[in-house]
Amino acid sequence: MRRADLFCLQLLAMSLLLVGCGSSPKPPPEPRLRMQAQEVETIGARRYAQGDYSAAARHFAEGARLQLSLDDAAAASRNRLQQAQSELALGQAQLALEHASQVREDSLQVQALLLQVQAQLTLGRVDAVNPLLARLTTLCGSASCTERGRLLLLQARAAWAGGDVALTLGQAEAALPILRAQQEEREIANAWRLIAAARLKTADTVAALAAARTALDIDRQLALPEKIARDWLLIGDIERRAGKAGAKSEAQSAYLRAQSVAQAAGLQELAKLATKALMESSQ
Amino acid sequence: MSILIEQDSDVALLHRGTRRFLLVSLLATVAIVSAIFLRQGLFRQTAELGFVAESAQDISKGLSVKIAGFRVGSVKTVTLRADGKVEVQMEIDADYMRFVTRDAVVELHKEGLVGSSVLEIMPGPDKTRLAANEAKLAFTRNDGLTAMANALRDKLMPVLGDIKVITGILADPQKGLPATLAQVRETTTSLNTLLQTGNRQVGDIGQAATRVLGKAEQDLVQLDRTLGTVNSRLPALLDKTQRIVDHVEKVAADAESSVPPLLHDGGAVAADVREIVTGAKTAWPIKNFIEAPVPQKLKADSDPHAEGSVAPR
Repeated sequence: MRRADLFCLQLLAMSLLLVGCGSSPKPPPEPRLRMQAQEVETIGARRYAQGDYSAAARHFAEGARLQLSLDDAAAASRNRLQQAQSELALGQAQLALEHASQVREDSLQVQALLLQVQAQLTLGRVDAVNPLLARLTTLCGSASCTERGRLLLLQARAAWAGGDVALTLGQAEAALPILRAQQEEREIANAWRLIAAARLKTADTVAALAAARTALDIDRQLALPEKIARDWLLIGDIERRAGKAGAKSEAQSAYLRAQSVAQAAGLQELAKLATKALMESSQ
Repeated sequence: MSILIEQDSDVALLHRGTRRFLLVSLLATVAIVSAIFLRQGLFRQTAELGFVAESAQDISKGLSVKIAGFRVGSVKTVTLRADGKVEVQMEIDADYMRFVTRDAVVELHKEGLVGSSVLEIMPGPDKTRLAANEAKLAFTRNDGLTAMANALRDKLMPVLGDIKVITGILADPQKGLPATLAQVRETTTSLNTLLQTGNRQVGDIGQAATRVLGKAEQDLVQLDRTLGTVNSRLPALLDKTQRIVDHVEKVAADAESSVPPLLHDGGAVAADVREIVTGAKTAWPIKNFIEAPVPQKLKADSDPHAEGSVAPR
């Protein structure tokens, strides 16, 4: 080895040593329990993304308990909120309502109220929704609110549950551009499905069919069997209502698709609905 | 002359006899009158007692005054005072004053339900202080038949009213006895129908039971055949199962000695790996490439079951 090379090597070693010594001091290690709580929450989020809502709810409940034991109210509320969301996905609306109501953090109030509205709508308590929506409008009325699109969509759902078709269409169509900007695909599909149902109610079957098919396309991309089956049921209803030539066979075909998807996904209630619709359409 | 003398002596004798008869008669009359006066109490010592009443109803002069049911005197005077009240003076035998105490009460009542009125002196509890002559006693009026009738009427009137109401309710064609009877009649008819239906159904059940028993008999025959087959194959099957169990036991015994150390080693290795990885994560410069775990936001879905588009009922 030449002397020049040796010098370069020594210089490099010195530089590395200086960089190492000059870097930021080693932060104190994270406490074991806090790491455990964060890990539980991370696992819960992973389970939720995998569609295992039951395991997700369990992990978030445990996360909330651990964070409470560390006196971290904000983190506990975050876990509780995610637990409520998982329970809603499981269809346990009453539990979700209770857990969402326990969230007291100001920064999470909008999300908590949105979940409460969802739970109340699932439970069919339309009257209880209006005060919650009023509070949400106060908290999230401005255009800068990130949850504005979801708020509009829930307002549309509340209007639909209350039988106000015009308001349903207005709110759902207002929600669409905001949700598109945020790339909230699931919510976009939800909005289209709602628009399709409202258009069907106004006997605008052409627009209804287009909206339902858009919802179906998105749900297929997202691979959501329950929603796909619902979309096919809706398409079947629209075809039946359209009353065009060949509409009966189109409707039956749509119901059959709904039935096969529901049966394959093990969704017994939806499969029964599809079978019933199929029998009614064949009469 | 001797004849005239004889006549004078006879007249004198007659005169003396007449005087004697008149004297005896006078004495007898005086004795009888004295006896009558004595009997009437003319010579007895009396005492006067009085009381004041609100009204002179049923009180009159000569009204009997009694103590413990014995007549001891009578009402002497009844006078209306200036203040509108009635003052009554009684005269009673002085011998009976030993029963009249100061707190005695004079009570006016009827003898029996419809008998005549009478004043009864009711001695008070304090027997030591006797009433003096011309003392004023308290007066009370015991309710007569009219008062009793009025009280009875007051008690009976509400009862009669209730009876009237109950009778009215009973007579009500919608809610009363007629409606109840109609309901009873209807219920009886329904019961008869039910009994007839029950009888019919019991008959049907009997027939069905006969059929079921026949079927059960066939099933038992089939079961008997199946059990025969099982009986012939079971010993071989049990032998095979025993061999498998023996093998599993052997494997489990081997595992018992080998697996725990393996697991222990595995746990220790995992702990070492975790420690190494944690160390590496926190060491420079690797820590700069690893993001600290941050809370992940869940993908929101306001209608996870797509129920929002279902038409409202």
